[in-house]
Amino acid sequence: MDEIFGAPGQLLASTIRNATPLVFAALGGMFSERSGVVNIGLEGLMLISAFAGVVGAFLSGSAVVALAFALAAGLVFALIHALMCVTFEADQIISGTAINLLALGGTGFLMVSVFGAGGTSPRVEGFGEVPIPLLSSIPVVGPALFSQSVLVYLMYVMVPATFFVLFRTPFGLRLRATGESPEAVDTAGISVGRMRYYGVALSGLLASLGGIYLSMGILSAFTENMTNGRGFIALAALIFGRWNPIGAAGAALLFGFALAVTFSAPQEAIPNEFLQMIPYVLTIVALAAFGGRAIAPAAIGKPYRKE
Amino acid sequence: MSSRLRRALVDAGGALVFPLIAIVLSFVLGAFIVLATGNNPLTAYAALVRGAVGSPTAIGRTLLGATPLIFTGLAVAVAFRAGLFNIGGEGQLYIGAITAAWLGVTLGFLGALSIPIVLLACVVTGFLWGAIPGILKARFGAHEVITTIMLNYIGIYLTTYLALKPLRTEGLVPGTDAIDFAARIPFIGLGLGRANYGFLLALVAAVVAYLLLWRTGRGFQIRAVGLSPGAANYAGMGIGANTVLALAIGGAFAAIGGGVEVLGVYGKMTVPFVTGLGFNGIGVALLGRNHPAGVVLGALLFGGLASGAQEMQFSTDVPLQLTSVLLAVILLLVTATKLVELLFGKRARALAGARLEKGLG
Repeated sequence: MDEIFGAPGQLLASTIRNATPLVFAALGGMFSERSGVVNIGLEGLMLISAFAGVVGAFLSGSAVVALAFALAAGLVFALIHALMCVTFEADQIISGTAINLLALGGTGFLMVSVFGAGGTSPRVEGFGEVPIPLLSSIPVVGPALFSQSVLVYLMYVMVPATFFVLFRTPFGLRLRATGESPEAVDTAGISVGRMRYYGVALSGLLASLGGIYLSMGILSAFTENMTNGRGFIALAALIFGRWNPIGAAGAALLFGFALAVTFSAPQEAIPNEFLQMIPYVLTIVALAAFGGRAIAPAAIGKPYRKE
Repeated sequence: MSSRLRRALVDAGGALVFPLIAIVLSFVLGAFIVLATGNNPLTAYAALVRGAVGSPTAIGRTLLGATPLIFTGLAVAVAFRAGLFNIGGEGQLYIGAITAAWLGVTLGFLGALSIPIVLLACVVTGFLWGAIPGILKARFGAHEVITTIMLNYIGIYLTTYLALKPLRTEGLVPGTDAIDFAARIPFIGLGLGRANYGFLLALVAAVVAYLLLWRTGRGFQIRAVGLSPGAANYAGMGIGANTVLALAIGGAFAAIGGGVEVLGVYGKMTVPFVTGLGFNGIGVALLGRNHPAGVVLGALLFGGLASGAQEMQFSTDVPLQLTSVLLAVILLLVTATKLVELLFGKRARALAGARLEKGLG
């Protein structure tokens, strides 16, 4: 096995790295969809943040500035989605598709404007690995789980944190109620529109963490269309995980594993192209097996109009 | 003027309100972006228009760009009429392209006679490929938005494999063998540059889509499922069968688009192959209100922008990706019903909005 897939520790480490952007984006999608707004723009939110982070690092040389750039970009694009879906009552899937195209076209445009050429940006200082003392010296599992970038540790924290916020706080209750029964929320004197803005804004912030981890955690540069469908895979993880943070994180780990296998399996035995299909095929299988039975928030996809 | 004609004109006018507002607003926004790059928006837009329609060659380039988008736009529009979102145009186009690249060479000895056979084969492979998300939806309840996107990646990797391994030929650019010129779709000529008869095929396809949806019983069923699944089901129309059929027909349209690109433009399938045609088809369909005539208009606009962008980048230094941004903004605004109401009052929205809301499942 070792010569085929590398040491188990390596495969686990690669699974974690590949799952991290998916987990962030899926948790982000959760806040948006639980509030009743479909967010197929996660792909675009990740892409624009991956780019903004690299620009921030390029201009300042500081990871903190890069992170601020990424969060700001994700937030702005998410607010555009919210403006369209909540305020202007646009179709949510079309708005999400437009967000994706805007991020793809926008980063292509800005690559030329900022760096002078498309393709791949100049290299920047990425997020290095920060081994956690003691934990990282556990055999096999230690280096894989605890010798990672700070963003990975943040991801570990975000999963239970999202669970807590959604299911144990008044804010989470209101957010979930907005997605299930906006009329009731409205009657209770809470603004449906405002809750949805919060949900979509949170999805932008979380997706941007996934985006910047792609460009500055895994790589140290931005490449055009580098998200390559990860936003959609995250969305499938969300559905597969039944709109629950723990379930979605589990599904994201599974997809992360599929991506890791893609990169580490032997090229001679199976053509590369077939290996690269695995995560996408797995996504379809997961949806076909569980998609129909998963129960989406009741009011998802519908603009709320006060009578 | 007969009342029927008048109503049709009012309907068409209403249908154009949203797209026109979206287009104007996006160009206004684009002007600010051009200003930010240190260029004069008027100069840039003048170059854009000149590059799109300023000469017969420019018009030819616009038609050439519009051709595949009519096909991928129809792929979206037909599915949309059944209340389904087909984002799989990209993969479906690739499946058609590889079909044409393979059969075009294999049947090349037949000359021009091979063209209809090859395109028919594209219809078959596209239909089957397009049926997959339909079956996944009808049988397993898997949402077509995600499955069609996933199938894009699978289709692209599959065709890449076929073009690089079994069908690979020796050459500078990796890809399949070149199809004999006699077996390719000929140029229109008339000074239109490289524009080929594929554009006329696309117009025929739009007419076929119209007749299929509005003049056949099956088309009625597809639209009924889109408008009111409950009522269609009650009337005994199978929702599952119509779901599969609408997505499969959509797949067939996109696949002919891929076949026409190979037979009319490239003569083979290279790796990488042209990208974005499927995704831009979504914008074309939405801009065209998911009506075949609107799809043709939308594709001409997209094709014109793409053609004009080259001239714009050449004569100013505005990156041609500006047009992708413009298109995304158009798409963002085109369904923003409330925005129109805020800007132009409730009557404009009632006129323009009612038809779209009916179309969305």
